[in-house]
Amino acid sequence: MSDFTDFARFMSALTDHRVDFIIVGGVAGSLHGAARATYDLDIVYARDPTNLARLVAALDRLQPYLRGAPKGLPFRWDVETLARGLNFTLTTTAGNIDLIGEIAGGGRYEDLLQHTIEVEASGVRCRCVKLRSLIALKRAAGRPRDFDAIAELEVLLEEQERMESA
Amino acid sequence: MLPRDKEPDLPPDPVIEAYKKDIDRTLLKETLKQTPAQRFANLQKFMRSVAGLRGAARRRA
Repeated sequence: MSDFTDFARFMSALTDHRVDFIIVGGVAGSLHGAARATYDLDIVYARDPTNLARLVAALDRLQPYLRGAPKGLPFRWDVETLARGLNFTLTTTAGNIDLIGEIAGGGRYEDLLQHTIEVEASGVRCRCVKLRSLIALKRAAGRPRDFDAIAELEVLLEEQERMESA
Repeated sequence: MLPRDKEPDLPPDPVIEAYKKDIDRTLLKETLKQTPAQRFANLQKFMRSVAGLRGAARRRA
């Protein structure tokens, strides 16, 4: 629906509605210092009923729809739909967002929480997976298209550790 | 799964090591000097300009 993924708009909507979520994927890499472009926001979200309701409310105005699905497919953006599924790749009026209920190598929100840091971006505070854990998650996903991104994140980690020890 | 109560180990992977040779360390050293908020703002700005270019190319076609 949108050429441009407005990461800031997503993050404001999610934090305004007090959604429990963790930023993973390319935006997490950028927050840690990766120079690679990314075209969608990936978040791991908590699956408890309260959080599902908050997530539905947060994205409702952005008219979420299944990314890549043919137009006219019956898709209802509500708690029931979220509860019946787990991972959703969505397109919205603010761009693309992937909602991950369970991530390969990292499990659910509650499992991942101890591997996060709090960051401030675009005037909001949110949780982002730690760099070392982000690398482990990308390694666990095992996608050849990620090799270049993993290499960049590992170099970033080396440089970060070098700066901290200097 | 990520280990509980400790950071994950990242044993060297020969494939990833090969890819590292092409990474621009100078650029990453610069981004490390920024705050997460600055990095996020730069990403947002960059993606906005990419979208602008894509739109322009589409209009021209």
